[in-house]
Amino acid sequence: MRDHNLKDLIFFLGPPLLILVIFVIYPIVGTIILSFMLGDTLTLENYREVLFETIPLKALIVTNPGTSPPWGALIHNMVWIVIAVPMVVILGMLLAYALRKTFGSSFILGTIFLGMVLPGVVSGLIIRFMFDADIGIFPRIFALFNVPLLSHTWTIYPQTALFALILGSIWLWLGFSVTLYSAGLDSIPSSLIEAALVDGASEREIFTKIIIPQLKPVTTVVILMTIMWVLKLFDIVYVVTGGGPGGASTVLALIMYMYFASSLEYNKAAAVSVILALLTLIPAYWYMKMVLSGEKQ
Amino acid sequence: MSTNQNKLTISALALSIIALLLGLYAVIAIQNLSTSISQLQGSLNEIRGDINTLQQQLAKQPTQQQVPPAQKVKLVVIGPWSGDEAKYFQAVIDAYVKTHPNVEIEYRTMRAEDVAATMPIQFAAGVAPGDVIFGWAWFIAKMGKEGHLVDLTNVINEKEYVPGIVDAVKADGKIWGAPFTMWLKPGFWYRKSFFQKNGLSEPKSYSEFVQLLDKIKGIPGIKNPIATGDGVGWPISDIVEHFIIAYGGPQMQLNLISGKTRFTDPSVKKVFSDYLVPLLQKGYFSEPIEWTTVIPKWWAGEYGLYFMGTWITGMVEDPNDIDFFPLPESKGVVGGADYAFVPKYSKNVDAAVDFIKYLATDGQGVHASVPSGKVPTWTKVPISQLWKPMQSVYSKITQRNMAILPDLDDSIGGDWQKTFWDQLKLLWVNPGALDSVLKTLEAGQPKP
Repeated sequence: MRDHNLKDLIFFLGPPLLILVIFVIYPIVGTIILSFMLGDTLTLENYREVLFETIPLKALIVTNPGTSPPWGALIHNMVWIVIAVPMVVILGMLLAYALRKTFGSSFILGTIFLGMVLPGVVSGLIIRFMFDADIGIFPRIFALFNVPLLSHTWTIYPQTALFALILGSIWLWLGFSVTLYSAGLDSIPSSLIEAALVDGASEREIFTKIIIPQLKPVTTVVILMTIMWVLKLFDIVYVVTGGGPGGASTVLALIMYMYFASSLEYNKAAAVSVILALLTLIPAYWYMKMVLSGEKQ
Repeated sequence: MSTNQNKLTISALALSIIALLLGLYAVIAIQNLSTSISQLQGSLNEIRGDINTLQQQLAKQPTQQQVPPAQKVKLVVIGPWSGDEAKYFQAVIDAYVKTHPNVEIEYRTMRAEDVAATMPIQFAAGVAPGDVIFGWAWFIAKMGKEGHLVDLTNVINEKEYVPGIVDAVKADGKIWGAPFTMWLKPGFWYRKSFFQKNGLSEPKSYSEFVQLLDKIKGIPGIKNPIATGDGVGWPISDIVEHFIIAYGGPQMQLNLISGKTRFTDPSVKKVFSDYLVPLLQKGYFSEPIEWTTVIPKWWAGEYGLYFMGTWITGMVEDPNDIDFFPLPESKGVVGGADYAFVPKYSKNVDAAVDFIKYLATDGQGVHASVPSGKVPTWTKVPISQLWKPMQSVYSKITQRNMAILPDLDDSIGGDWQKTFWDQLKLLWVNPGALDSVLKTLEAGQPKP
């Protein structure tokens, strides 16, 4: 019986573990080792050079930041998380709730979901057009309100390039958030809401005191997944601004690409990828913890 | 959990740890193996190179005429052109295929910046996506030096080309790239009909140039006097180099390339602060707009002038309605050739070398005769063979006795080129950042 179990174990776990070793574990371990190598020497030099780089297009942290970007790719990613995550959560929740019983909601949801299904390059081009002074909706709205700073092409000015990307990315990720919240809303027992209505609760009270608390697990998933997605963003930044102007819209993934494909400095690229992986591990850990504790329950 | 489940979990964990350790061992072992293989490959490539050289010396092949391959061959040619420009290059391919019916050529578009980004990794793996590939000169010289390209020293006769044009693709005394046709970035283009209608004329001094811009600004329908092209950034850098050559002199351009003159030098700053930045601050230049989409806007009269290379002659509705003027005090113009190379990993090296030889010679005559907006670097192409509008462009430049100078960022290349483009995009929308821009450019500039 024991031998039979061991054979089953090897038979079922062996092939996937082998694939994992070749395509996941070996590249990860290899990248980590590469990030500590300079020639044949083990060193922290790659990390030092990457963290203290001063060229704007490759800086992770700018030493004398101003009130507007560039601040360094690491800070840009953090700012992106701080702005995009709450917006995705709040807009996703509100839209999912409001569109439940709205006529034509499937069409609206389809438009929102378009951002998720389009290839990154196409999304990037659309974002570029969205913020173009001549044809973009945002500059035109601000031109109507006579706001000169926001009536030009956002993606070519350092003050607005990063924020154009962030706003564009919110549209891209909103479909995911709305879908999850829609599913979450469907799972709330209707008896709770009916009981609240019987007790005379207003729509606002039902939303704030019942819906939002009940959607807490979904909210946690949306937050963690959005953070992981933002940290990995590359395609739309590459297509829309290339990290410029003046390094005002660089992100970690773009810098990793520049070291790898442009400067051919593979060791430094590995160092940036390790930093990126460590940052992504934080939300990933919380997500796994949440999933595993949910399974236990 | 039951005892069996515990045992299964422990066994699974043990297997995972073993897998991790195996992975670590595999990394170290494979890296050592890969280093040995690379060294062996390097030695083999050197030996192959020596054999090729010996074969050529023994065979004493005439440099002018290569015998075309007899068997059916398919070549993949990678170039930066698309749209109309690709059409003009296709004419060159069609002319070759007519005389070489056994050769089939597939043309693929890939920008030079993408070639420089993706090819090194592929060459390191011993593969090449094409047989004849166009790329930046600095990139070709670098790849040739690293042993990835076919040596073309016995294929290109330097004396038959515009002096100095082959230098950009030389490394270690060998020629790694073949020059194709040349583009020039001669100045500000305008529609003759626009100038005639509004009573405008070419300026003869910087102050007349500013007066011209003022006049254009006042014309109804004009958004900005000068359209600024955008993209990865080279259209803006072309304008900047034009100002550097005009108000710093041709030697400043060369010294900036070599690193002898630094970007923070007061003479360089003067060019920016006294001539270029005031024009930016007064709004004479438009915001950067994607360089191909701005052409119809300029043509429609939204902008008066457009700084662009000679290839624009093939991109407008009526090439006879356009003319150009350089900045009045300018004694030089940026010009550069497109260069092609044959990777060693090509499966059809002989056929590729034959085609590249054609591109470097008779192919240039074909390319210059269609609306490509290019001029030949091979001196054996007569001026009369050039496309008519380009004949007058070429004459205007030669009449002014202007020196042809290398492109600044193309010559330096690498990461610095990207920084140059990025910083100039910043300068365009924030002229007050001049000092920090020059400091950033100087920091990455090559040392002399």
